[in-house]
Amino acid sequence: MMKYAFFPGCVLEGASQEAYTATTKVAQALGIELVEIPGWTCCGGSHLQDYDKTAALAVNARNIALAEKMGLPVLTVCNTCTLMLREAKHELDNGAKELVNPALQQAGLEYTGTSPVAHFLWMLIKDYGLDKLKKKVKKPLKGMKVAGYYGCHILRPPHIMGFEDHANPHSLEDLIRALGAEPVPFDARLKCCGFHSVFTSKEDTMKATGTINLSALEGGADCTVTPCPLCQMQLDMYQPEGKRAVNAKDDIPALHLTQLIGLALGYTAEELGMKRHIVNTGILLAGR
Amino acid sequence: MRKITFKIHRFDGQKSWIQEYTLDHQPGKTILWALIQIKETLDPSLNFTASCRHAICGACAVRVNGQATLACETPLDKMLKRWESDTLILEPLQNFKLIRDLVVDWEPKAERLAELKPWLMPKDEFNKESGCRQSPEDFKKINKNSDCILCGCCASECNKLSGNNSDFLEPFVFAKAQRFVADSRDKNPVERLSAAINHGAWKCQHCQECVAKCPKGLSPAEDISNLRQEAIAKGLVEHSGVRHAKAFLDDIKKTGRLNEGMMAVKTDGLVKSIGNIPFALRLMSKGKLNPAHMFPKPIKEVAEVRAIILAVKESEKARNIAIAKRSEAHTNPDVQRPKEAAK
Repeated sequence: MMKYAFFPGCVLEGASQEAYTATTKVAQALGIELVEIPGWTCCGGSHLQDYDKTAALAVNARNIALAEKMGLPVLTVCNTCTLMLREAKHELDNGAKELVNPALQQAGLEYTGTSPVAHFLWMLIKDYGLDKLKKKVKKPLKGMKVAGYYGCHILRPPHIMGFEDHANPHSLEDLIRALGAEPVPFDARLKCCGFHSVFTSKEDTMKATGTINLSALEGGADCTVTPCPLCQMQLDMYQPEGKRAVNAKDDIPALHLTQLIGLALGYTAEELGMKRHIVNTGILLAGR
Repeated sequence: MRKITFKIHRFDGQKSWIQEYTLDHQPGKTILWALIQIKETLDPSLNFTASCRHAICGACAVRVNGQATLACETPLDKMLKRWESDTLILEPLQNFKLIRDLVVDWEPKAERLAELKPWLMPKDEFNKESGCRQSPEDFKKINKNSDCILCGCCASECNKLSGNNSDFLEPFVFAKAQRFVADSRDKNPVERLSAAINHGAWKCQHCQECVAKCPKGLSPAEDISNLRQEAIAKGLVEHSGVRHAKAFLDDIKKTGRLNEGMMAVKTDGLVKSIGNIPFALRLMSKGKLNPAHMFPKPIKEVAEVRAIILAVKESEKARNIAIAKRSEAHTNPDVQRPKEAAK
């Protein structure tokens, strides 16, 4: 059985609890064991390093060291957590280990570099396999047109992420196809949702959000799906502001990656927490 | 014969259109080869800029299928493979004023670059006699950023600039600013830092496009992060961006996890956050914001987390002091350098 040290990240405990539910259910259905890292902390959310880079390194070295103690690879479900953990790992593997380990050792921990850090999407493709996933699909999402929206931090910067070609990735489209749905091309598929500047640059952020949703609609999509709960929050929770910013009329549901997979595995929308979305997902599911 | 089609964005000063050109495929060529080939054999009216052909002058940046790249060092075959197509779309850089076809105007960019004073303002202790020396460690801090060739790839794909360029500068401008802020010989970091903050350093969206697109391996997004940290160190802390970033550290030290519910209040203050009430109610109605979670319990290892942060910061401080001592030995002619002392 596949087993991972699960790093849920703060958002899955808060605003995106439905993503926690969906992740757990999907893992269960696929026979993947997720052991939540005991005592994990916030990764710093791509802001901590601007205030205190050393603190960001320290907390993420600890997060990874906890997984190493469990003897398991780290599994993440948020783009930004993935970036923060992998960035710390990159630094640790390139000289920062000596700086951090004396401090970790006082807590009975050590960073050695044995636990890789991978996102759920990468794990499904590389470790689990899409062919195997296809066999588990109970309700193929036939006829559903899905705009696969990557978000930034699962692709960039490429020297830290590096799972696939950052300029023309296809993991998300491959997965959408494996679930029986149809991936639609749309202009904004690699653009930024603006989440991380929502406080400092609100107008630009809402324009970015609105543009992505509009682009997905123009591509003919029934919904967007994203591997990042922060992007999902932005596309869903701020959809009304986004629409106003670009003078758009129509709504488009924004799904977490694991919710889309969950639907294909036979879970109901309610079981996957879709009632918690701001934009109604009902239209998407009518007749399914 | 395999044919390659190029759909090229044309602009004559007034109207724009897409023009198609077809070339016979030749292996081992570059995007710039294709542009030159088109101009020389098919259409002399096509305008683009290029000079060194060695990724040094930065003149030939264009967008290939929506991604900025240096035409001279981008293999044509790599692009055909990446896009699984024998048709490529070539466009001018985004976020620039367009002159003709693929030629963009650098004049306004040079003015924007000057806002952050990209030249050395040497410390007063330097003079003709003693020179303007720098230790290898200090040189390392600025070496990478000195490689910027002003090609504009970062600016073209910057999500923030595309949104609005009036309160932000091009990523390469911030990279250049950081190059001088980090220069041990420069006397005026605060002036540059405050200009960087006033020109939107806290507005970067963290999209990492600039890092992904730089052909010389610079990391403008990281430079912006360094400028932010340096600005804080120099006391430039009155900004919502600072309060936002600080909230992450405070929450980690307090409970280990982020307190989303209080983030708006911590970043914008109570008064400004009142404007967010309709948004908060929207979230509450769906259970996305739970008032009961406003005061979360700390993880049980939180003391350990605080101790680790503190200890790592202490050892970093010790390391920096050791580096500074070595630098001083190198730059101060009165102190014997280890090598000379050994003689």
